[in-house]
Amino acid sequence: MKGIAKGLGVTLKNLTRKKVTYAYPDEPIEMPDRFRGVQHFIPEKCIVCNQCAVVCPTQCISLTGKPNPDPTKKVKLIDTFDINFEICILCDLCTEVCPTEAIVMTHNFELASYSRDELFMDKEWLQANNKKVRKENLVKPSRVKKGVK
Amino acid sequence: MTNWFEGSLTWGIFAMFAIWVIVLLLIVLGFVTYAIYYERKVIGWMQGRYGPNRVGPFGLLQTVADILKLLMKEDTIPAKADRVLFKLAPVIAFVPSFAVLAVIPYTETLVFANLNVGLLYFAALSSISTIGILLGGWASNNKYALLGGMRSGAQMISYEIPLIISVAGVILMSGSLNLGDIVKAQGNGFWQWNFIPQIIGFSVFIVASIAELNRTPFDLPEAESELVAGYHVEYSGFRFAFFMLAEYVYVYAIASLTTVLFLGGWKPLFPFLDFIPGIIWFIIKFLFVVFCLFWLRATLPRMRIDQLMGLGWKVLLPLSLANLFITAVVMEWFR
Amino acid sequence: MARTEELLLNVGPQHPSTHGVFRLIVKLDGEVITHAEPVMGYLHRGTEKLAEELTYTQIIPYTDRMDYVSAMTNNYILCHAVETMMGIEVPERAEYLRVIAMELQRIASHLVWWGTYLLDIGAMSPFLYAFREREMIINLFNELCGARLTYFYMRVGGVKWDAPEGWLDKVRNFIPYMREKLEEYDQLVSGNEIFLSRVKGIGKYDAETAIAYGLSGANLRCTGVKRDLRKDQPYSIYDRFTFDVPVREEGDCYARYLIRMEEMRQSLNILEQALEQMPDDGDIMAKIPRVIRPPEGEAYVGIESPRGEIGCYLISRNKPQPYRLKFRRPSFFNLQILPELLKGESMTNLIAILGGIDIVVGEVDC
Repeated sequence: MKGIAKGLGVTLKNLTRKKVTYAYPDEPIEMPDRFRGVQHFIPEKCIVCNQCAVVCPTQCISLTGKPNPDPTKKVKLIDTFDINFEICILCDLCTEVCPTEAIVMTHNFELASYSRDELFMDKEWLQANNKKVRKENLVKPSRVKKGVK
Repeated sequence: MTNWFEGSLTWGIFAMFAIWVIVLLLIVLGFVTYAIYYERKVIGWMQGRYGPNRVGPFGLLQTVADILKLLMKEDTIPAKADRVLFKLAPVIAFVPSFAVLAVIPYTETLVFANLNVGLLYFAALSSISTIGILLGGWASNNKYALLGGMRSGAQMISYEIPLIISVAGVILMSGSLNLGDIVKAQGNGFWQWNFIPQIIGFSVFIVASIAELNRTPFDLPEAESELVAGYHVEYSGFRFAFFMLAEYVYVYAIASLTTVLFLGGWKPLFPFLDFIPGIIWFIIKFLFVVFCLFWLRATLPRMRIDQLMGLGWKVLLPLSLANLFITAVVMEWFR
Repeated sequence: MARTEELLLNVGPQHPSTHGVFRLIVKLDGEVITHAEPVMGYLHRGTEKLAEELTYTQIIPYTDRMDYVSAMTNNYILCHAVETMMGIEVPERAEYLRVIAMELQRIASHLVWWGTYLLDIGAMSPFLYAFREREMIINLFNELCGARLTYFYMRVGGVKWDAPEGWLDKVRNFIPYMREKLEEYDQLVSGNEIFLSRVKGIGKYDAETAIAYGLSGANLRCTGVKRDLRKDQPYSIYDRFTFDVPVREEGDCYARYLIRMEEMRQSLNILEQALEQMPDDGDIMAKIPRVIRPPEGEAYVGIESPRGEIGCYLISRNKPQPYRLKFRRPSFFNLQILPELLKGESMTNLIAILGGIDIVVGEVDC
């Protein structure tokens, strides 16, 4: 009976303790800066190098480019850029490889929707998703070093 | 109220009965609504949560919303179920639970039926509910439900016996089976209540009554982590609500009975606190007992069926018999 | 004449106590189990096969999703395998960050086990207490690597992020807090008579059986075999810390329970030492080639995950993608013994035994 009594004491003590639950969704949860949420895309910066689409482990990024209207410039312009959030695992690799920071992470994570089609995000949507953009995007562990070839 | 039983049954008296039954039903439904709220709040607080706080002020309407949801749900009956028994089971489980409330004396005057065999009536009717649960488990034609129903049958039969015998000590001390008389035999002030001379009987009664209620740590018939939900796994909507209702009405009944038998009913804690009306004392004691039930639920793990049987037959039954024997000897000695 | 029949009962794949989608077909005689057959594969995603098409960096987020209760150790096992094959020297600070992450993960994982196990046994509060403390660890991880569950923190050659400012102090403060909570857990559960009667002597096996079935982790140590890969084949920098490997002789669910509780304490000790010894700054990534291409050959590495020995067997043909990748998942191996343990037990003990093994179905099915 001693063990049971001790246990009852613990639960009784917890009765008056501070509650630990979040008031989400009444109050939004502040995520730390490194949080990996839905990407923000900046078309002006994109050089259509296709690295993000190649590095994506789930192949959820598809993009096409168009020739630059200014014939003096060789860099292509982005035409379409889609991320399929049904399969995107928000692993951060696309933002890691992007040489121009055209794709960056944000702190937005609310992706619930009534239809799967709504999870297919195009360039415009990703461009408009510009709130709470992650500040610390520059760290690129796999690219800092040169070396053993 | 009592004198109505003595005259002949006229339409007027019948109407009065009906009105009082409805009043009691409403009180009980109100209690059940807020007992569930109270339980969820208490357990929530004990677990570092707020408990229900979304519907209504402080979540007070949460249970109402839940009940409405249950009422609106589709009422499903499994194709292979025994339809008649399946429909009958919740009724059999609920009706006795409500009927036993008739004999609880809340104060000296406020008692619905002043039976002189009140305690026997309570014990006899409350065991009928088991049949409802057993039927529900059987009629669902579901293996989990069957296991839950069988467990429930075994558990309730083996705990009924120590429960009644543990109460027998109280009956000896007060010399009556009438619940009102049992309270009157206890004095003002907690040292005159039955739980002190009857401490063994009280302990046995508490354990056995929790087992009767199917509450943690004896919630084996439901055992959501093993049997999913036990006997009411196939029930939905209103029939499910009836099982839940029966369960909470029994919480009400057992907590009232504990108050009446062992905690001095409407008697005050100290004689000088006499000015507080009896009904307040009853409610305070009653809420304390209910709180203890919830507290146990927040703390304890579930027992195993064989241990439960062992506890019932090997510990509680001898203890309650010993209690009865000692009470009888002491009563004889000091008479 | 009365005739009794055996009852064939499907426990799962949708059942509250199978921790995911795991199915058991049990034959019941009354409430006594005469035969049990586990059915697995409901959560099979073919990680190993998928990996053959992916580069090594791309595989790491997939390992997060194998044992989703302990993603850090899964991250580590793959990185460790590749690093072993390529002979990469991981910088000191990265190693310390890895160890801190893995030990925090071990505590978080054991907390999940503790909470859900008690929930299986019927106590509700421990689950919420455990998740209250786990939430703090998850918040720490969220600050460290930007995710709450699928961390993708470790990379071949190091870690992705250095600790943010003030993070190490938060870990430092967490240690005494957690010690106090562990004390409270013991008061709440470890001495509870009902709990003891539910787990003592249940699911007993001896060392020989355990070894024959290839059990590892607490499931092996509960039989008195002192095997912990952190001590026996020190990987990373585990040889720099002093800690005990809790061992018990009983071989029952209670022994496993006590071992896991003690392991949490030992993890706190390791964390304390790691925080003390950690260099103030330094690289967090080794110099690695842009395309990770392990030399032709094969390697097996094993580490101690919260559930036991997790191993990674890697065959490389000098390509950016592995030729074959095989994970030795401790949950899967630990589950093998289940049908034998269940024979003659009751339905209630089934839950206690299955919970005591501590499986994560994502890892069993991989």
